[in-house]
Amino acid sequence: MKEELKQLELDGSARIAEASDLKSLEEVRVAYLGRKGRITEILKGLGSASPEDRRSLGQMANLLKDQFAQRIDARKTELEAALREQKAQEQRVDMSLPGRAIPPGHVHVLNQIADEISDIFIQMGFQLALGPDVETEYYNFDALNTPDDHPARDSHDTFFVKPGVVLRTQTSPVQIRVMEQTRPPVAVIAPGRVYRVDLDATHSPMFVQMEGLLVDKGITFSDLKGTLMHFIHSFFGPDIQVRFRPHFFPFTEPSAEVDILWTARDRHTGEVKSKWLEILGCGMVHPEVFKNVSYDYEEYSGYAFGLGIDRIAMVRHGISSITHLYENDMRFLEQF
Amino acid sequence: MQISLNWLKELLPLEADADEIAEHLTMLGLEIEAVRRPGQDIENVFVGRILDIQPHPEADKLVVCRTDAGQGEALQIICGATNMKVGDKVPTAIDGATLPGGFKIGSRKMRGIQSCGMMCSARELGLGEEHAGLLILDKNAPIGQDIRDFLGLNDVVFEIEVTPNRGDWASMIGVARELAAFYGLQMTLPDAEVKESGEPAAAWSSITIEAPDLCPRYAGRILRNVVIKPSPPWLCARLIAAGQRPINNVVDITNYILMETGHPLHAFDYEKLKENRIVVRRARADEKITTLDGTERQLQEDMLVIADAENAQAVAGIMGGADSEVEKTTTTILLESAWFESRCVRSTSRRLSLSTEASQRFQRGADMQMLPYALNRAARLMQELADAEVAPGILDAWPQQRAYPAVTLRYERTVSRVGVNVAPAEQKRFLVSLGCELESETDASATFKIPSWRHDIRHEADLIEEVARLFGYENIPVTMPPVRQAESVFAPHATILRNFRRYLAGQGLTEVMNWSFGSPEGAVDAGLPVSPADQVYLSNPLSENYAVMRFSLLPGLFGTAAYNAKRGRRDLRIFELGPVYRNSADEILPAEPMYAGILLSGNAPGHWSRAECSYDFYDIKGCLDVIARFFGKELTLEESASSGFQKGQFAEIKWRKHILGCIGKVADEVVKTFGLPENTYVLEINLEILLAKKTEPAQFTAIPQYPASLRDLAVVVDRAVPAKDLVAATKQAAGPLLTAVNVFDVYSGKPLPSDKKSIALSLLFQSPDRTLTDKDTQKTMDRIVSRLRKDFEAELR
Repeated sequence: MKEELKQLELDGSARIAEASDLKSLEEVRVAYLGRKGRITEILKGLGSASPEDRRSLGQMANLLKDQFAQRIDARKTELEAALREQKAQEQRVDMSLPGRAIPPGHVHVLNQIADEISDIFIQMGFQLALGPDVETEYYNFDALNTPDDHPARDSHDTFFVKPGVVLRTQTSPVQIRVMEQTRPPVAVIAPGRVYRVDLDATHSPMFVQMEGLLVDKGITFSDLKGTLMHFIHSFFGPDIQVRFRPHFFPFTEPSAEVDILWTARDRHTGEVKSKWLEILGCGMVHPEVFKNVSYDYEEYSGYAFGLGIDRIAMVRHGISSITHLYENDMRFLEQF
Repeated sequence: MQISLNWLKELLPLEADADEIAEHLTMLGLEIEAVRRPGQDIENVFVGRILDIQPHPEADKLVVCRTDAGQGEALQIICGATNMKVGDKVPTAIDGATLPGGFKIGSRKMRGIQSCGMMCSARELGLGEEHAGLLILDKNAPIGQDIRDFLGLNDVVFEIEVTPNRGDWASMIGVARELAAFYGLQMTLPDAEVKESGEPAAAWSSITIEAPDLCPRYAGRILRNVVIKPSPPWLCARLIAAGQRPINNVVDITNYILMETGHPLHAFDYEKLKENRIVVRRARADEKITTLDGTERQLQEDMLVIADAENAQAVAGIMGGADSEVEKTTTTILLESAWFESRCVRSTSRRLSLSTEASQRFQRGADMQMLPYALNRAARLMQELADAEVAPGILDAWPQQRAYPAVTLRYERTVSRVGVNVAPAEQKRFLVSLGCELESETDASATFKIPSWRHDIRHEADLIEEVARLFGYENIPVTMPPVRQAESVFAPHATILRNFRRYLAGQGLTEVMNWSFGSPEGAVDAGLPVSPADQVYLSNPLSENYAVMRFSLLPGLFGTAAYNAKRGRRDLRIFELGPVYRNSADEILPAEPMYAGILLSGNAPGHWSRAECSYDFYDIKGCLDVIARFFGKELTLEESASSGFQKGQFAEIKWRKHILGCIGKVADEVVKTFGLPENTYVLEINLEILLAKKTEPAQFTAIPQYPASLRDLAVVVDRAVPAKDLVAATKQAAGPLLTAVNVFDVYSGKPLPSDKKSIALSLLFQSPDRTLTDKDTQKTMDRIVSRLRKDFEAELR
């Protein structure tokens, strides 16, 4: 009996070790530990052994049973691990292949810029305002202190719809429309399309501007500087150099243009160069403009500014020609 | 406008270097567009003296000269010119010299004889067109002096942009005046003393002003025995630096004075004026004039002309007439220096499409006080350079004196508007330095007489700007204003539209942005119902292709699709968001409703794991579904017909009773007209109503606590039966236990007869207050089936 158990241990251990899959391992378990298994049979047959043998054989057989159970478990763990590994290998993916989704589209770069700029001003407390593209001459020029014989009109090559009606040449008429609707304080920004009869590599007959207007008691030119510096530093980065230089607009006095010192690598020569780039015009609202909307110049003051979204987009993204912006070439639109 | 630094230095003792001056001009408001150094193209060219001229043994047209250019030994130079003689001083380029245009001069043999340099014509030095012979220099020119120094070519030219308010900056004196104020320097005006001789001017001619409202002052001088010839090199150099082309001494002098003083002059050939006199009047009906550019121009009765006793001889302030032009044979000149109303010059210039150096200056407002000075300066130069005899006296018709305004500045105002504390004394000093004359003052304010050249200063705010400008914008502090908001809301839909744009991009749609104008045919070609009266026409469009404001987004989207298809990109998934323009009968301005348009063409975005799939109607409808979802509105389709769309794949988009737009497959003819990819689907929808009608906030429905039961039902019906009707009938027959119906399969083809299709519905049954039994569900199913049988002759599959 002892010999038999010894032999059983040898054979069984070998068969457990050799079991190459869970099914054959299960067969081994049934063959030894199952209800009719060899060890079960031996334990059942102990009744016929002598009492002293019964004790020692019983111990041996139970020990062997536990041993086998453990070995089978261990082997099972091994086989399961191998199986998982095999499955993992079989199901390995090529992570470099594109994922599956509707590829997101692109918001037009000009709207991305306009939104980003709007957010900066909205955080400061401005709200959005809008005006029509087809505008009266009164709003586009006269109310903005630019009467018909004003030389400033020469620089605006205007599209006419009919006498007295034009395509707005600037977003500034929104200033008037807003001030006509409300009393101070006013704090608005007004993005929109504007039009001038001009078409070449640097001019598009339609382009996009954003107007800003703040009117309240005690607003100063230094406030204008502060507001615009804040915007420029938020948008272009805190280290960018800014300069305000005197300029002329009929509807502001004093007036200024604002340049940033822009550093870029030349596309062709590779040279890194800095130069001053004009990005916006601004000034203190002209007393004549206040008069036209019945605001009291003695009591209130305010500033206005207008920036070219196209120009800012071109500067920021290094876009070489304004025509790209309205050509709608997918190879362009999908870059942003 | 081009400003020469050498010229400025003649007017005031500038010491700053050119870059510094450029920076200061910029910060004073004169925008510098470029800084050029014209002389830097010229190198190793010196004043030389011709010592000897011998014929060339091998060439009739060449001579061999020996020239002393101060470079040690005399140089042997072969030359083709004939206008020089021994002893003449000429610009001499030595071996290794560079001339404008990058020409390099070396030593070389010409017809067998060595030539060690070149003697130069005016053109070769970049001094105009004169190329008939060598440029003969002044007898006293120092041999060996660098030609750039001798001719004043060592100059720096600032190209400035003159803003429309500052006509006075369009001159050397104007810029010098500004710099004088900035640097605290004294400007010296060049000498305008004239030696007069002969009969007085009044004996020669007379000036009559018949339109004093348009010409309040007209002055003239008579110059006799004028000799027309090329201008001397220094004058040519100056004109070239200022961007002018030298022509002859008389023309050049008028241009020179224009550049120097900013005051336009005009020289008439005195002999060609009928009765030798000047009449300033409005043009007659049907009067014509041929201007100096050779164009005959039809004048109008409100245009101002300078006439002789009979005919118009110049368009006032804009351009002279060809009939009285100064020619080589001219001996007597009537020189005009006048002041014309800017409004009149502007409107005439615009109507004649004729813009000149003169008109630009009069439009911005000339300086009436400058007029006699400019006249005398020119007369003096004519005397020096054209041998003119100046008749005594100025013919000065000045029927209307103009008063120059006085403007009061409250010092405190500067402080409160600019935000910086500039002391009153300093404010006053700035203004006086700019030419404002103090008329009266108190502790708190001062009243200034505004100088005649400053048409832009009319209001206190203008004086504040002058103070701020001279104080320096860069010295004004930076403060943050408190931003207070009005109660009104000016753009209530802006945020929604921005979200909508991002939402569409999230659907894989790329935004395009087309110009707002297009061809009048665009909407018609797209098959839209449009009448000419609906469209907004431009009276001066870029071209016929851009003659109307867009009536619809579709032509623009088609244009974009065609543009990209032409470049090999046929698979498109794009949208545009923007206004369209529609005439409204009662309003001055057209309506500008906000529209959205979507175009799909070619294949849907592919993936390596799937077969390619071309777009069909359900893709564009899906786009509409997401729009409906975004705005929380139920949008319905109503099949319709349009020449622009394929029959059976076109519908109007409706919300309740409102037609909001259209959707469908673009018809083959339209595909051909626009050059589109073949399967192109579009939708266009008016967003105004969707934006305006607020959706009620969704109200919570309790989550069902009892399990649902899911059944499928497939029926065969006629192909013409819309799924929508089946679903509606199903819902009706089922009653409240049916909580959701979904079409999950549609099939037609074998083995079904060709006029039949199978539609499979999945049905979800659920009760809020109990668990449904099979019996409950089956009873409802039976009701549905019998209803579908009855309504649609549906057969169970």
